[in-house]
Amino acid sequence: MELLFGQIINAILLGCTYTLVAIGFSLFFGVMDVVVFCAGDIAIFGAFSIMGAYTILASAGIFSVLPFTVAVFILLLVASILCASLGLLTYRFSVKPFENTSALMPLLSTIALGVVIKEVLGLVFQRVVNPLAKAAASGGEALAVQGGRNPQAMPVLIAPDGTITERNLIIIGVTLFLLLALFLFLNKTKIGLSMQAISQNKDLSRMIGINVNRIVILTFVIGGVLLAIGGFLVGSYNTIIRFDNGTMYGTKGFAAAVVGGLSNIYGAIVGGMLLAFVEVFVSGYIPNGTAYSSIIAFVVVVFFIVFKPEGIIGEKTVEKV
Amino acid sequence: MLKKSRKYSLLWLVVLMAALLIAAGCGGQDAGTGGDSEAPDVVKLGFLSPITGPNSAEGAAARNAFLMAIDAANASGEFPYTIEVIVIDDASKPEVGAAGAQQIVADEKVVAATGHWNSGVAEATIPIFKQAEIPLLIWGAIKEGLTSPENYPYITRSAPTAAQENEPLANILIKDMGYKKWFIVSDVTSYGEANTEVFTKILADMGCELLGTEKVQEGTVDFRPIIQKIKSSGATAVYFGGVVTEASLLKNQMHEAGMDDVLFAGISGIYSEDFLKIGAEAAEGALAIKPGIDPSKSPEGQKFLDDYAAGGYSEPVGAFTPYAYEAALILLNALKQCGDNPTPAAMVDAIKDSETTGIMGTTTFNEFGQTNNVAAYMLVVQDGKWVSFDESEYATGTRVLPQP
Repeated sequence: MELLFGQIINAILLGCTYTLVAIGFSLFFGVMDVVVFCAGDIAIFGAFSIMGAYTILASAGIFSVLPFTVAVFILLLVASILCASLGLLTYRFSVKPFENTSALMPLLSTIALGVVIKEVLGLVFQRVVNPLAKAAASGGEALAVQGGRNPQAMPVLIAPDGTITERNLIIIGVTLFLLLALFLFLNKTKIGLSMQAISQNKDLSRMIGINVNRIVILTFVIGGVLLAIGGFLVGSYNTIIRFDNGTMYGTKGFAAAVVGGLSNIYGAIVGGMLLAFVEVFVSGYIPNGTAYSSIIAFVVVVFFIVFKPEGIIGEKTVEKV
Repeated sequence: MLKKSRKYSLLWLVVLMAALLIAAGCGGQDAGTGGDSEAPDVVKLGFLSPITGPNSAEGAAARNAFLMAIDAANASGEFPYTIEVIVIDDASKPEVGAAGAQQIVADEKVVAATGHWNSGVAEATIPIFKQAEIPLLIWGAIKEGLTSPENYPYITRSAPTAAQENEPLANILIKDMGYKKWFIVSDVTSYGEANTEVFTKILADMGCELLGTEKVQEGTVDFRPIIQKIKSSGATAVYFGGVVTEASLLKNQMHEAGMDDVLFAGISGIYSEDFLKIGAEAAEGALAIKPGIDPSKSPEGQKFLDDYAAGGYSEPVGAFTPYAYEAALILLNALKQCGDNPTPAAMVDAIKDSETTGIMGTTTFNEFGQTNNVAAYMLVVQDGKWVSFDESEYATGTRVLPQP
């Protein structure tokens, strides 16, 4: 029983990390009708921004001057700004130039951009002073490490003195809060409603006076911020980040979004959870199952696409003859 | 509408991406330092290691040590020719390693090669060296069978095999310390498979309980489902048969799950500064076996460590760095036996019959090219540092390892 409960918690946490990336895919797909494949890399870029900003600001003594939560908030702000800028760059250089071409073009260009982001992270974060996980909160000293392209320790910024259960609850809580905020934003604000209008019919939205360009740019900014926080949570959950983690999260997040229904952000939640539950339970209950967990998860994904191509929560698109 | 025909291309995309994910990794490039091939008085050696990619820290440190020995030999004036090294970065990928091996054997001045941190890469290059009849001395890949009657005499190995490394580990942990309930975690690489196979057999031979085996893909970041499984299996010790990235994540997440009462022991692949990076707290008490003898125990070994430190390299000495240095000494010794005009054929014989005393003891090779020099010692993480177990506070009883 304890095993089952533990595995359910594991699955929910893993599902949260997939969901946040999947929502990025859904948001971008909704307004631009393109698959922005570097969403996973943007998220990991967010995690690295936090780690980098932490390294700089912690050695500058920010944690001794400001209260812990304020300092963490500043770090999140820095990462959000950087990721929003990266979202804008993605839009400007990898999506917009291919607006009226085949959907494969932006797909390819965002895959390429993802490789660039990944490799740059690998190069930039080769030799950093990486403070020990709990160093900052308790005023400990920084530890110089050789990074290579090896994993970097993510600073513990979520409940540094709390238990792991508390930390996990905060991760789930923040994810729920983000989802709720996104729900309210999309349904209660003018910008959110405009986004939905654009995702349904871009030409008509333009005709009724929605500034489509502005809304699309805003979507990439909001998506960037969401991914930054997603990356922060992913990194905090795994305790370690590696420059190429984005590839895995991109693929899993995309698969989750597709299973759920690509143009529907609630589908991303369902898809993310489904993928995570399959993986965790294959790994946790089948002897020597871990080696096959990704394979089985993707078999499930393919199964869903074949028998429910519109996604679990997707609307059936009717072809007009 | 716009989205009508995309559903099917999405299917293909997911399949394609799943395949890409399995093959995921990072690109590497050659870091050739091949010099002027016109010079008549140059003899070349090939050196292969992963200088980029997941094992870059080990690979680059090995390269530094190897080049350090060769530079010293060139500077000593003992050789009537200049020794040049073709450094190949195999990025831990078999296909990249194979391409590098082709580059080495294509150079007519090459008389011998040494290399490999990854057993999988060694498997890919061995046929190339055999066919070109150029001797390959393996310094770091430990899978059984790389040295074999079929590969003899071209392939020799100065590093211990998985069995030669796992046996001393098992002797200490099982016979001396009494851990009987085991859980094995390894990765799906040749290295991981080799260790799992050997350790599983040892556990059966020593009458231990094996409560589960899990193999993970390289790049796995979430070990919690496995940890939950270990917890409910009642294992008192976890054996990790892979390399450092996954090991540090597993240990960290075990610590996080409050499982410090379960012993964590690993093969030399986890002995790295990177393992300590996860924080002294989580790494504390982890055990690793390290092949060879402790370099700091002998004057030659200490000189090597001092020279390496003086070299100002950014990569610290890893488990196999002394072996790469030793490989250079073995090749230099063989070169000396070959006189003024060494050839690959002469080097094959010179290496297999060589007897070299370096920083790791005296290396000779058995009837199929495997080193006879088998030694290993235990290390433990204490306050964020790898410490020789015999000198640690765990040995004196000041600190205690988890109950067996």
